[in-house]
Amino acid sequence: MAAIEKPGDAVARVRVAVKTYAARHAPVHALRGVSLTIEPGEMVALVGPSGCGKSTLLNLLAGVDRADSGQVVVCGIDLAGTRDERALVELRRTCIGIVFQSFHLVPHLRVEENVALPLALAGKKDRARVDMLLERVGLSARRSHYPAELSGGEQQRTAVARALVHRPRLVLADEPTGNLDSQSGAQVLALLDEARSEVGAALLLVTHDAAVARLADRTLHMADGLFLRESR
Amino acid sequence: MIQSALFTRPVAKHPVRFLATVLGIAAGVASVVSTLGASSAALSSLREGVGLLSGRAALEVTAAGGVPESELTRLAPLALDALLLPVVEDVAKCTTLSDTVRVFGVDLLTDPRFAADSATIATAPPIEELLSTPSAIVSDEFARDARVGVGDSIHLTIMAKPISLRVAAIFPAGPSAVLGRLVVVDVSVAQRFFGRDGNLSRIELVPRGSVSSTALSERARELVSRGMQVGRPTDRAEESETLVRSLEFNLATMSGISLLVGGVLVATTLATSVVQRRRTIALLYALGASRGQVVRVIFAEALFLGVFGGILGVALGYVSSRFMVDGMRATLSTLVSTTAPTAISFDETHAWLGIALGVVVSLAAAVLPVLEGARTPPIQALRGETPRFLSARALALALSIATLLALVAYVLFLQPAWYGLPIAALAGALVLLAALLALYGPLVDGLGRFAGVRFSVPAVVRLACAGLSAGRRRAAWAAGAVGVAVALSIAIATMVGSFRGTVVDWVERSIHPDLAVRGVRGKTGVPVGGVDREVAAIVSATPGVVDTYPYFVSSARFGDERIGFGGVSFEAVRKRGWSAMLDGSDSSVAIERAWKSGGVLVSEAGAHRFGWKVGDQIAIDVRGQQFERAIEGVYMDHSESRGFVLADAGDFERLVPDADPLFVELNCRTPADIEPVRSALRAAFAGRFEVEINDMPTMRASILSVFDRTFEITRALQIVSAIVAIIAVLSVLFALVSERRADIALLSAIGMSSLEVHALVAVQAGLLGVLGAGFGSACGLVIGYVLVTVVNLQSFGWTIAFDAPWIAIASLVGFVAAACTLAGTLPARAAAQRSMRDALREDG
Repeated sequence: MAAIEKPGDAVARVRVAVKTYAARHAPVHALRGVSLTIEPGEMVALVGPSGCGKSTLLNLLAGVDRADSGQVVVCGIDLAGTRDERALVELRRTCIGIVFQSFHLVPHLRVEENVALPLALAGKKDRARVDMLLERVGLSARRSHYPAELSGGEQQRTAVARALVHRPRLVLADEPTGNLDSQSGAQVLALLDEARSEVGAALLLVTHDAAVARLADRTLHMADGLFLRESR
Repeated sequence: MIQSALFTRPVAKHPVRFLATVLGIAAGVASVVSTLGASSAALSSLREGVGLLSGRAALEVTAAGGVPESELTRLAPLALDALLLPVVEDVAKCTTLSDTVRVFGVDLLTDPRFAADSATIATAPPIEELLSTPSAIVSDEFARDARVGVGDSIHLTIMAKPISLRVAAIFPAGPSAVLGRLVVVDVSVAQRFFGRDGNLSRIELVPRGSVSSTALSERARELVSRGMQVGRPTDRAEESETLVRSLEFNLATMSGISLLVGGVLVATTLATSVVQRRRTIALLYALGASRGQVVRVIFAEALFLGVFGGILGVALGYVSSRFMVDGMRATLSTLVSTTAPTAISFDETHAWLGIALGVVVSLAAAVLPVLEGARTPPIQALRGETPRFLSARALALALSIATLLALVAYVLFLQPAWYGLPIAALAGALVLLAALLALYGPLVDGLGRFAGVRFSVPAVVRLACAGLSAGRRRAAWAAGAVGVAVALSIAIATMVGSFRGTVVDWVERSIHPDLAVRGVRGKTGVPVGGVDREVAAIVSATPGVVDTYPYFVSSARFGDERIGFGGVSFEAVRKRGWSAMLDGSDSSVAIERAWKSGGVLVSEAGAHRFGWKVGDQIAIDVRGQQFERAIEGVYMDHSESRGFVLADAGDFERLVPDADPLFVELNCRTPADIEPVRSALRAAFAGRFEVEINDMPTMRASILSVFDRTFEITRALQIVSAIVAIIAVLSVLFALVSERRADIALLSAIGMSSLEVHALVAVQAGLLGVLGAGFGSACGLVIGYVLVTVVNLQSFGWTIAFDAPWIAIASLVGFVAAACTLAGTLPARAAAQRSMRDALREDG
């Protein structure tokens, strides 16, 4: 399969990334040489069966894991080549926003504190932005509540607000609607789309949901660690 | 905000575990602070006494065995440059106060501190009155405690003789406990009462005007006789403190044991909290937290634990030292004479030390949990808490670390004492405990593998093992806390048990007389002072008595070191034997040899300290006279640790002619004569001497009673260690249950009964207890062996026979396992009561 990439000033660029996990019985080839480019403001959906390498690719882009070979460049930083911990920390603070399938809110922080957390980690404060995002996700009235007091949809909306508060250039969303009903899921997608237009963030969504994939500018189909095809 | 996410709010939500850990640190700090405070108060009469009583004296002339009065004449050329003050100082029992007092004999004509016309005294009696009748000057505190005033009498027992002194004057003592137990008399009166005619304790030199102490010291050295020492008053205090330094060090070290257990509790708590907050930490990393930010929070939590624990510990230590001071005084009085302790007052140095110890221990305990927190990957890379066993590499690494630490410990055990203290050996004990802690990971891993063994094991047990393995690190920390506490308890029990066994054996082999006549005992249970010579004469003349053995004690110098020097009739003692010999031979044979050759016996402590051995020639200085003899035997004596030379009474009395015996032992014609002899002696002594007449069982019981009082403090420390260990287990069990609540809820949902849930958690707790106590006992035995054979020998020079307390070990292991299992019922109840719906909902 030919590399799926486009020229231009990309937010993220992956070239022939290979990732293999050594296991007791046989090695697991999670990625067998994938390439892609994500442009600013672009929404890309990543679909495929379980175990095809979607989460591995997400981890490479988030700087959590390192490719065995190939190149992974995000916001100008070559993640495959760098061992600079500070650079990775800075990347997560300024360039990347993550939305998890299981929300992953900090249980001992209130909603407004969870939303403001990325800014706090970077030593910044922007109350106006936090207020605006809470308003945008419809949680202003719940700002002082703890995650355990929210519904699943409210938790995921909080997570989306958190992912956007620091104006990231790339938002990675792993099954953001997987644990939500259709109405909540639609709300979350709408929010992500708004962010794309507001701050020009690029979106990479990992999803099983065909309806979600249809909203994307492009959909990449994966299987066995490779891109099978691209659809629009 | 990271602080709130990881520390302050989780703690506020579950304060019990944090408070329990603070309490653990506080218990350890309190042990150390109370030991230091109590020993400081108990030693106050030594430390304060020298400074207060020496007044303005810059120098003093002293000698082992006392300073002959004739030295005053030799020092006369210095009279223009310095005041020469003769002093006799000793202890006596004050029956009015029922306590030991210090009798201070000075020249009331010339001594500026207490002269009749000095400003110190509230009233100024005529000097003729002070010199003509036995009179004393006492402090206002003494007068208040004894309820006496000027003109009243106080009653002392000196050399077994009841003495009445008239209170001639009262001086203001201030807050000093030393002055509160001081009786000042004229030096000639003191010499008469203590049988020191022609002999002084020391001669003090007070420079006049601007005379230099250095020049005065040089001139004095040229004038005094051979065998006299010219030094500062503080040298005397330092010498006494050296005697007790080993004992103080060992007591402080053992109290540090509780602090160590508290440190393990902190490590357990922090390690548990890091693992419990693993997801939160991982999430923070994913959102951009740096490792430094997370590490700072964990260290901040440790710092809080240390500071709060330290402050609370200092407060508890200050309170508990008041209860410890009498026990501490009893312990120290086995080595030095002490009078009443000072009141326990708040010592800023001890307070800062306690807080610093709490902080240092907590921060040190935080290192491994911090490393674990720093190594936590971001949340996308977390694979959850699957029961993954240790890889072969990790297992090999853990076992290698444990082996290496054990080897380092062994090397440290072989090192000699450093500055007279068993520092290397005690450091080795700490390293061995670290090796024990390193082993618990593989041990818990082994438990988890056991769960997979294909034979019939109850499901509850298999689930318990699997649960422990899933939380291997926390389980290892909890078992480690139990193991360390048990190891230290067993080590102390081994040391105390071995020591007691040796003392019992020594007492049985060494206590031979039918009766012993000695001075009355003070509050510490130790006899105060000796007995008058006339007592020995009365004993000899009593019908039914066949042999009389007065035992004399003084001091001498071996090189620059002060040692004990004693005398007893070898001719008499050879018939019945002396103290047990170090080589196990019959002491009668050694005494016989010494009697025939004119040789001496030496103590084991001296042999260890100076390398004395049988066949050597030993030369000592007694009151300026050289005494050289061959060593004919080395005997065991657990009442002294500086070195002792025992000579025949004839040699002793020639060198120290004015000495009175410390006690008089006797043998009767037949056992049937013992009680009639005792009655006859009581009648003979009535109204003339105040003594105790003890038979052999009483003597042995008395020695053992002093021994048991000495170790009251260590027993208290064992209890503190055990309590802290149980807190550690409880803390981890609650954490394990909290983490596994979804699993437990799932088991309940598919059919596990409440009773089985209880059993599951209780079995986990019991397994932790057995694992901890079992291996902890083995480690404790090794440390106990080191304490007995290395630490004790280096500290005091005593050989103690190692005696493993098997019954105590079995009892302790059983008790700890049972206590942990019982302790597990609390978290078990919490697990069983939790709503299944809530527990399952919270997962993910």
